[in-house]
Amino acid sequence: MVAQTGEKRYSDALVIGGGIAGLQAALDLAEQGYKVMVVEREASIGGRMISLSKVYPTLDCASCITTPKMSAAAHHENIEIMTYTEVKSIVPDGDGHLVTVTRKPTYVNADKCIGCRLCEYACDSEFADSFEQGLGATRAISVAFTNAIPQKAVLQAEYCLSCGLCLRACPTDAIEFDQQPRQEQIAAHAVIITTGFQLNGLNIKPQYSAAQSANIISPLTLERLLAPHGPYGRVLRPSDGKIPESVAFVLCSGSRDRTIGVPYCSRVCCMYSIKQAMLLAGSLPTADITIYYMDIRAFGKGYEQFYQNARAMGVNFVRGKVSHIDVAPPDDLMVHVEMTEESVDCVRRQKHDLVVLAQGMIPQWNPSGVSTVTIGEDGFVATPDLASPCATNVPGVFVAGAAAGPKDIVDTIADAGAAAMVAARYLVRCGSKESAQPGGGRSVRLELAV
Amino acid sequence: MDRMNQSETERCGNQPASEPRVGVYICRCGGNISDVVDTDHVAEVCKLIPGVTTAKVHTFMCSDPGQQTIIDDIRQEKLDRVVVASCSPFLHELTFRGAVMRGKLNAYLYEHVNIREQCSWAHKHDPRGATAKAIALISAAVGKVRHSRPLEKIRLANNQRALIVGGGPAGMKAAADLAACGLSVLLVERSNRLGGKLASPQRMFPTGAASGEILSKLESDMRSTGRVEVLLSSEITRVGGFVGNFDVTIHGPLGPSGSMTDTNVSFGAIIMATGFQPYVPHDGEFLFGRHPAVMTTVALQEALAAAPEGKMLKVNGHEIRRVAFIHCVGSRQVEGVHQPGTDGRLNKHCSRVCCTTVLNQALQIRSRFADTRVYDLYQDIRAYGRGHEQYYTDASRAGVVFFRYHGDEPPAVTAEKDASLHIRVKDYLSWGETLEIEVDLLVLAVGMTPGPCEQIVDQLKLPRGEDGFLQEIHPKLRPVEISVNGVLLAGTAQAPMNLQETLAAAGAAAVKARSMLVKQHVELNPYVAQVDANLCEGLGQCVAECQYDGALKLIETSRNGRTVKMAEVNPGLCVGCGACVAVCPNRAINVNGWRLDQYDEMVDGLVRELVPA
Repeated sequence: MVAQTGEKRYSDALVIGGGIAGLQAALDLAEQGYKVMVVEREASIGGRMISLSKVYPTLDCASCITTPKMSAAAHHENIEIMTYTEVKSIVPDGDGHLVTVTRKPTYVNADKCIGCRLCEYACDSEFADSFEQGLGATRAISVAFTNAIPQKAVLQAEYCLSCGLCLRACPTDAIEFDQQPRQEQIAAHAVIITTGFQLNGLNIKPQYSAAQSANIISPLTLERLLAPHGPYGRVLRPSDGKIPESVAFVLCSGSRDRTIGVPYCSRVCCMYSIKQAMLLAGSLPTADITIYYMDIRAFGKGYEQFYQNARAMGVNFVRGKVSHIDVAPPDDLMVHVEMTEESVDCVRRQKHDLVVLAQGMIPQWNPSGVSTVTIGEDGFVATPDLASPCATNVPGVFVAGAAAGPKDIVDTIADAGAAAMVAARYLVRCGSKESAQPGGGRSVRLELAV
Repeated sequence: MDRMNQSETERCGNQPASEPRVGVYICRCGGNISDVVDTDHVAEVCKLIPGVTTAKVHTFMCSDPGQQTIIDDIRQEKLDRVVVASCSPFLHELTFRGAVMRGKLNAYLYEHVNIREQCSWAHKHDPRGATAKAIALISAAVGKVRHSRPLEKIRLANNQRALIVGGGPAGMKAAADLAACGLSVLLVERSNRLGGKLASPQRMFPTGAASGEILSKLESDMRSTGRVEVLLSSEITRVGGFVGNFDVTIHGPLGPSGSMTDTNVSFGAIIMATGFQPYVPHDGEFLFGRHPAVMTTVALQEALAAAPEGKMLKVNGHEIRRVAFIHCVGSRQVEGVHQPGTDGRLNKHCSRVCCTTVLNQALQIRSRFADTRVYDLYQDIRAYGRGHEQYYTDASRAGVVFFRYHGDEPPAVTAEKDASLHIRVKDYLSWGETLEIEVDLLVLAVGMTPGPCEQIVDQLKLPRGEDGFLQEIHPKLRPVEISVNGVLLAGTAQAPMNLQETLAAAGAAAVKARSMLVKQHVELNPYVAQVDANLCEGLGQCVAECQYDGALKLIETSRNGRTVKMAEVNPGLCVGCGACVAVCPNRAINVNGWRLDQYDEMVDGLVRELVPA
């Protein structure tokens, strides 16, 4: 049962997705005086980036870059953020769009909740924490993570025991078990899609045996292991808590592979693997670290130098294709590599403690059934006009970041700025009220002629 | 211009009017700091520093709850000064100033202490030392902030129009974006046509679209706004001023009947779209310049556009049976292997676009000229972009033969008697075998080097990165801004990019420029020199010392009925370097926010002994 709220609200622009792309686009529009709404599916904004440890090529901690943008957006007078909200439909309406969203029930009154977490401490129902990639536990009612925005508790009904402990713990009577999903309508002139990416399954290549070993992990899991505030506070391998002595990165294990339907390059794996290898070399100075690769695609500004630094630090780069991985009992892994660099041992077997599979980037969101925005063969939102990189096939609907194909953070942030710019142009054309121009387009020629 | 409140100096004297209440906040930075520095101990000790009312620790001070703690304490604890000890001020000084302002406190009653880069990271193996240093630095900052006075940003009129330097795709896109939003734009291009590198005909990856079509689209988009003035064959000969008020001299055909003259114009913002130059191989590098069958990818692009259709590619009338490409010429250079450029620098960077450019050209050859064989000598195929991998697959299927060499073992090229070329390459696709091939044409995939813009770079003191390209402030936090406020970077002036990336970067620069230019005023940091009228004797030593044109001058003013000389600061041009402060014998000039008495307090703070009870 979905309750319908009556009133339709207006916003100059609506941004779908509160990750780094969405936040940057929203900030760039808001700085020009436009009203922006950001719709985020999860309980907090921040997207993928907020869960990362450090980011290349500067090795800044990811939180240090993301939290100020999250905070700036949350406090901007022109930005309204709706978390725990999903977009149901985007329908063209005049020169704008009518967007229907569902506010999912959090079972906590956001106006009353003060983020004290007493409910979370009282709760008895624990389950695997997706923010920590399942390495830690969270509770049925909790604030999403330490630096989440908003700092409001959310109750996940499927894990709730209905025991009432939170109800008794809450000092402000914020818990509302009877909340229902609520639909709202927003009339927005411009829409920016910043729905980002997800990784394809760890088990997508069964020959890599990820289902058979807890020590074959996702790069996002390693990000949490490397984060100073991560689940263990240091790097331990999941199966037995051993400090790994030999770690392997298998590149292109979810990309550049027709057999799994991802023929394209995911663009970020080379660099984040190199970064993770460097961070591991820092936290586990005696460990052997090997990167199995086809081509090292260190193409961005400063990336090649970053790659050469990793080589100089002693990270072992082996060009070859991993054919399969066997579990070497009890908990180790045997990696079989078809070598292309050496004149002997064309096939090599190498034992490792921990293996990281560079999964491929696939779209997080499919517009089908929600909007008439088209997607490319790769499933990402199509951008048909080479001269206007953020424009989709629908006028007034724009796309930025990994929603339009794999991109790293640097490229995503530039892309988000560009999307905000085309959206602003669209708003000017629509005669949106904030577009009143100081300076009024005086001709430069007039002054030059003096 | 003189917005200074002279009487304030007298009022405040050397001691704060009432004892300030300072809040100190220590960030764990999620372990980045607290794994080394004992943050809880730091907080305990900081409570002993005179003036400190409260000292707290938080896992992420920059997060929303962290900032909220400051705001709440300003209200509840009646704080009137705040110190945050966390990461570099470069990252978060502005974040916390914002928080302090939201707490309704003047943003400049705030001090930032860097206990991450300067303590936990620098002294990772000395936790006690790092902790002691953190305490000393915080103690100094508390001393300084106790003597801070409220400051206001300097507000100056904004010249609400943009100068775009460069008429390639980036410049045209940025111009179109700004003009479409109602701003007036002047685009200055040194050559006699628009389009930059896109003006030479080529098939663009990844769609195969003709460059001419994209170019005319970009141009008509820009022209249709009616607000972009384009000056061709023109150059910037002088540039000065500051954000909102850049003064620029343009030398171009602006005189009567198009004679070359100088014109001065003012702008609020400058967008650097000065592009790139293809790397020019050294004389003799892979026989370049010494053998007619060696050319660059840039030259091949023109040759392909001019080549008659047929079974075999013809270049300058010669039939090309076999062509080889060598990647990374002028990119990914290795010390001891490659010869540095005239500036003594190696191009260590990857030029990003050359791999797909080669694949694109190789495919064009294979699809148009069935009897021309193509060899491709590469290090890594970096077909990273959307649709690029398909070029690699298609090239392999079309029979392009690949060889993989290592950067420190580049292929060796020698001339044969029959006008062909002989290439020896240690090929790692065949397990390190040394292979030899004969070709009729060798194409060098040349990388990108920064485009020429020395005049502006020198006059505005714009920083360049190690790779020679213009250096942004931070690749993620402020990716299109440069250390000179009001100057923005668009496209390949900043780093190698392909066309789509260039256009996106130009859009990102335009959006920042528009945010600056929609405002009627610009606001500048108040850290500029201030003259104490009571102490200044008009000696002029400060004026002689000042390195910034127009920032400091001697004026005549009347004091007690007498005409006297006195120094005056132009706050728009002063950068607050403090050179004037050092030479004044009367201590009559100070930099706001960094006054000499505050330095005294910082030194006292550094040596203060704090012993917990």
